[in-house]
Amino acid sequence: MIRLIAQREFTEFVRDGRLLWAGGIMLLLIVTALGVGWQRQSHLHAERHAAQHLDYEDWLKQDERHPHDAAHQGMHVFKPEPPLSIIDPGIGPYVGSTIWLQAHRQSEVKFRPAQDATGLQRFGTFSAAWLVQILAPLLIIVFGFNAFAGERELGTLRQLMSLGVSSRALLWGKALALAMGIGVLLVPGVVVAAAAVVIESEPGRLLDSALRFLMLGLAYAVYLAITVFVVLAVSARASSSRVALISLLALWIVGVLLAPRVMSDLSRHVYPSPSRTEFASDLSTDLKSEHDKAWREQFGVSTGWGPDLPLSKWGVALQVNDHVGYGVLDRHFGALWDTFEKQQRMQEWAGLLIPVLAVRSLSMGLSGTDFVQHRDFSVAAERQRRVVQDIMSHDLIDHADPLGDRHFAYQADKELWAKVPPFDYQTPSLAVVLRHHWSGFAILSAVLAAAVALALLFVPRRLPL
Amino acid sequence: MLEALNVSKDFGANRALDKVTLRVKPGEIYCLLGANGAGKTTLINLFLDFIEPTSGEVRINGRKVADDPLSTKRDIAYIPEQVMLYGVLSGIENLKYFAALATGERHSREQLLALLTEAGLPEAAADGRVSTYSKGMRQKVGIAIALAKNAKALLLDEPTSGLDPKAASEFSQLLAKARDRGVAVLTTTHDLFHAKQTGTRIGIMKQGRLVADLSSQDLSHTDLETLYLQHMAA
Amino acid sequence: MKARTFWLVFAHEARVLIADRTLPLVLTLFALLIGYAITNGIVEIRARDAAVASILTKQNERNARNIDQLQRINAGIETPAPFSNAADPANVGGGLGGRFAYVPTSALAPMAFGQSDMIPNYYQVTYRSRVNFMYDSEIENPWNLLSGRFDVAFVIVYLLPLFIFAMSYNLLSAEREQGTLRMLLSQPLTLTKLVLAKVSIRAGTILTCAILIPVAALLIFRPETRDAVSLVQLAAWAVLVCAYGLFWFAVAVIANAFSRSSAANALVLVGSWVVLVLIVPVLLNLAVSVASPAPSRTELATQTRLITVDGLRRYQKLFSADYRYSDKPDLLLPKDGRFEVQSRPKAAFMLQRDVEADIQKLLDRFDAQLEGQQSLVDRWGVISPAIIVHEGLAALAGNGSQRYLHFQRQVATFHATWKQFFEPRILESRAMTEADFAAMPTWKWQEETLRRQLSDLSVRAIQILALVLVVAGIGFWRLKKSSAV
Ligand SMILES: Nc1ncnc2c1ncn2[C@@H]1O[C@H](COP(=O)(O)OP(=O)(O)OP(=O)(O)O)[C@@H](O)[C@H]1O
Ligand SMILES: [Mg+2]
Repeated sequence: MIRLIAQREFTEFVRDGRLLWAGGIMLLLIVTALGVGWQRQSHLHAERHAAQHLDYEDWLKQDERHPHDAAHQGMHVFKPEPPLSIIDPGIGPYVGSTIWLQAHRQSEVKFRPAQDATGLQRFGTFSAAWLVQILAPLLIIVFGFNAFAGERELGTLRQLMSLGVSSRALLWGKALALAMGIGVLLVPGVVVAAAAVVIESEPGRLLDSALRFLMLGLAYAVYLAITVFVVLAVSARASSSRVALISLLALWIVGVLLAPRVMSDLSRHVYPSPSRTEFASDLSTDLKSEHDKAWREQFGVSTGWGPDLPLSKWGVALQVNDHVGYGVLDRHFGALWDTFEKQQRMQEWAGLLIPVLAVRSLSMGLSGTDFVQHRDFSVAAERQRRVVQDIMSHDLIDHADPLGDRHFAYQADKELWAKVPPFDYQTPSLAVVLRHHWSGFAILSAVLAAAVALALLFVPRRLPL
Repeated sequence: MLEALNVSKDFGANRALDKVTLRVKPGEIYCLLGANGAGKTTLINLFLDFIEPTSGEVRINGRKVADDPLSTKRDIAYIPEQVMLYGVLSGIENLKYFAALATGERHSREQLLALLTEAGLPEAAADGRVSTYSKGMRQKVGIAIALAKNAKALLLDEPTSGLDPKAASEFSQLLAKARDRGVAVLTTTHDLFHAKQTGTRIGIMKQGRLVADLSSQDLSHTDLETLYLQHMAA
Repeated sequence: MKARTFWLVFAHEARVLIADRTLPLVLTLFALLIGYAITNGIVEIRARDAAVASILTKQNERNARNIDQLQRINAGIETPAPFSNAADPANVGGGLGGRFAYVPTSALAPMAFGQSDMIPNYYQVTYRSRVNFMYDSEIENPWNLLSGRFDVAFVIVYLLPLFIFAMSYNLLSAEREQGTLRMLLSQPLTLTKLVLAKVSIRAGTILTCAILIPVAALLIFRPETRDAVSLVQLAAWAVLVCAYGLFWFAVAVIANAFSRSSAANALVLVGSWVVLVLIVPVLLNLAVSVASPAPSRTELATQTRLITVDGLRRYQKLFSADYRYSDKPDLLLPKDGRFEVQSRPKAAFMLQRDVEADIQKLLDRFDAQLEGQQSLVDRWGVISPAIIVHEGLAALAGNGSQRYLHFQRQVATFHATWKQFFEPRILESRAMTEADFAAMPTWKWQEETLRRQLSDLSVRAIQILALVLVVAGIGFWRLKKSSAV
């Protein structure tokens, strides 16, 4: 029975051209997006991988030089581009990919692609994830708005009910038809994406990528199922197919367009983040006071790097300075990043009402392009910077000039450079991601349950005809 | 007053009107009979410039409709089978709007009420929303619009279908009054009895052709029903 | 008679739209949204103005402190610390005296955030190479950047068309479905006039709402907008918004000119909106980045490193020379107008100068590429009115890409002047004097000329009005051919 209903419905999508036109355009867009994403990811990945390698080689090949100068020169680290960013580049365009690890200060991750783009970037990034999050629900609306309302207007609903078809069977049949309609369109995309992910994954992490891919599929399936049931519920409830269509379009606009921006404003209001000026000046003030304190306690001097401190002590001083700074930096950057995460978490929970927010967060998380994983990279990069600093300061302490008035005259050689390990960054495993994102699945499942309940409520046993 | 001269109308391959010639003079009530799909509504649409004739000419008061449809429309009033109005407005508000559109003048409330009463709508109903009106009540607002326009010709498309017998006979009286004022009336109907009672001329259409054009004298001799069935059978 | 019919339909439509609650509902909702957006804008811009003001206060305090310190040093009262010494040109030209270059908010800034949440509106200019500071970005949660801001430009570009559709998707189809169209057209009234009157009442109300609310809010809460230049800009803003609104009304007319159902019209309209507002801009962005790709940033990082390594090698001797403050504290004091700048700061200055010169070509490539992209966008933007208006509104608000490029070019010039001022002082070990502090380059923002802005804007206005004419032309031509039945 259910299959029969679904088949008839599906034939209608094919016959009236909806599948061909709306669906064809969607299919074309998705495949294009994946192609573009694939090309971008493989190019970036290769380029950064090579650059990372070169950078370390250059570090090892450095001439003899004062360790602190070497630290000032520092090294670059590049964020690897995860294979699933083919599907969802996430916050990628709005965060940088390169950190210059230099002495004294934690650096920002620089070079945001959006800064090399025109204002058009702000319309959004063309990706498969964007298409499925934003346009696929619209497609389901186009397919399903007249599911019940249209049959009611035609009078075929009376006919069906008089034949003894149960209204619930009708609901499941129509849901199945919608799932088939959207499924047919997504299958080619899924195949291309799967191939791309498998090819671009490092062999050792193939399983990780595959699991991420499957879960991503699951997340989107739940998201689209939510849309299907909401569409059917509204279609069953509406007095005419026109009313159904208008209500659904309004829901869509509020859901994917308005609400995310309002929520973003709201989260910023609840958890305000500092401006760059505030952040920089607070950080400097804190650093200065902590440094002054440390200098007083350790060396009994009132100003840093003054004439009162013999040059032979500069190595120790550098270390003291750095170590005091680490705590301050961790506090400030930690607080900032926590704020970002809280803002995002709040929006994710708003996904209970606006599912696109929940699926967006989950999709980025699984694709490895969310803030949590960006932060993980930033922290790892900072850790590497500190390793470099500590090794350099140590060497300076070991070679402090016994005469007491030499510091920069000292030059270290290649042996010291080789003590610094290469920056070997592993992107967080799926387990880490799930620890952060289990709530996304929970939220989506809850919303799906609510959507099904709504559909059942609006398609009662005795359907209004 | 209303003249269709050798008019044909094709919808693609389908010939809806085939060289129809028909004249309605002032003071005449011309009843068009014919099966479903015979082309009656199509003919009326031509007078209203809703569609263009494929060949032939349609004239109102001697002027070709195609030349200046706006000015020919000033001379006619149209009442479709279903008089459709703005549901969110009251009957009197609807009348006010259409009357102003038709005549370019504003009517006072008293004038409008008088028109509605003349058309047969109880005064108490005039201020109710049209969405609460019955079909007959909407019909009466339609008549009031025609009255306000003081048109020289009336085009009526199945005006009495769905009206109860009393309302239908009131409508016939209104038509008779119009005829006496010298208005030319073209009405389509499926109601032979009504046609015979009110019509001064009767036309029978079949598959786009006017197959009979009878005056009231002819009618007095013949039984309309037999005639009609004869034509249909032929 | 003719004009009267128009006003008759106009007034009647108003009555019907009020009676069926479309007009109050749509206008209230729209007013709320645009009111929220402009409030958002005003609050945000106030915060930005305050941030710049606080930077400037800090800078002035710092400057005063430096001068004060210099006076005390010269009077022999103070021996300064080595790295905060107002007599040392290397200190003053670096972090101690570095000047802020900032771009002030435009009068119309609350109308569109544009690029301002991403690109910083100030930089601290020192003798350090531009690579060191030009790639800083404003602190903002990337998730929020992705979501986009709720500003007036968003309401206009994205939401206004939807509100226009809500009012006019069934402009004619409703009358057709109700059967009133036959009644209307049996009167002496043309379809064109009917549609014109119907569009006029709708466009009149919603566009008034769209223009009046933000403009009034700005005139009340942002006194900067009350001068002649800003009033001209506000007028231009209104023209752009009107033209954009009319474009979507024209699209609605086309949809209604075909005798399809209201539901079909709604679908077609939303479809056209999805294509023109959502998809085309995103695809154009993609196309532009393919046609004029950004040079690799990874490459820039690698090159910067190589050039720096080169410099380190070149100035190796200077870098290895030690500070001599411990045995000669006198070195911290100026003497006879001279201040012995130590070798390391000297080397650092020269290194930064060389890096700057060597990397210049690469940086120029980035600038050229971005300008190339921008000119492509300007040329091809005409394929979607959303692009024209989005860019136009951002430009009018002074938050568009162009103004930021203009700003960054000025920063580069200022940076060069700054280095020029300090180069002889650092390399020739001249002590800073009070006169130097007075003569130091100061940041002075040169606004884009109004003429340039207007010519830029009139191009956009012409583009969009041409689109309106074409679409409305098709709509009314189609209307002439469409029948009442
Ligand atoms: N807009 C149209 N497009 C195509 N064909 C049409 C159109 N209007 C009418 N027709 C065709 O023209 C023919 C005459 O139709 P018309 O509506 O004039 O019949 P009628 O005599 O008014 O019938 P009824 O008694 O059912 O009202 C029919 O075959 C109809 O299918
Ligand atoms: Mg008919």
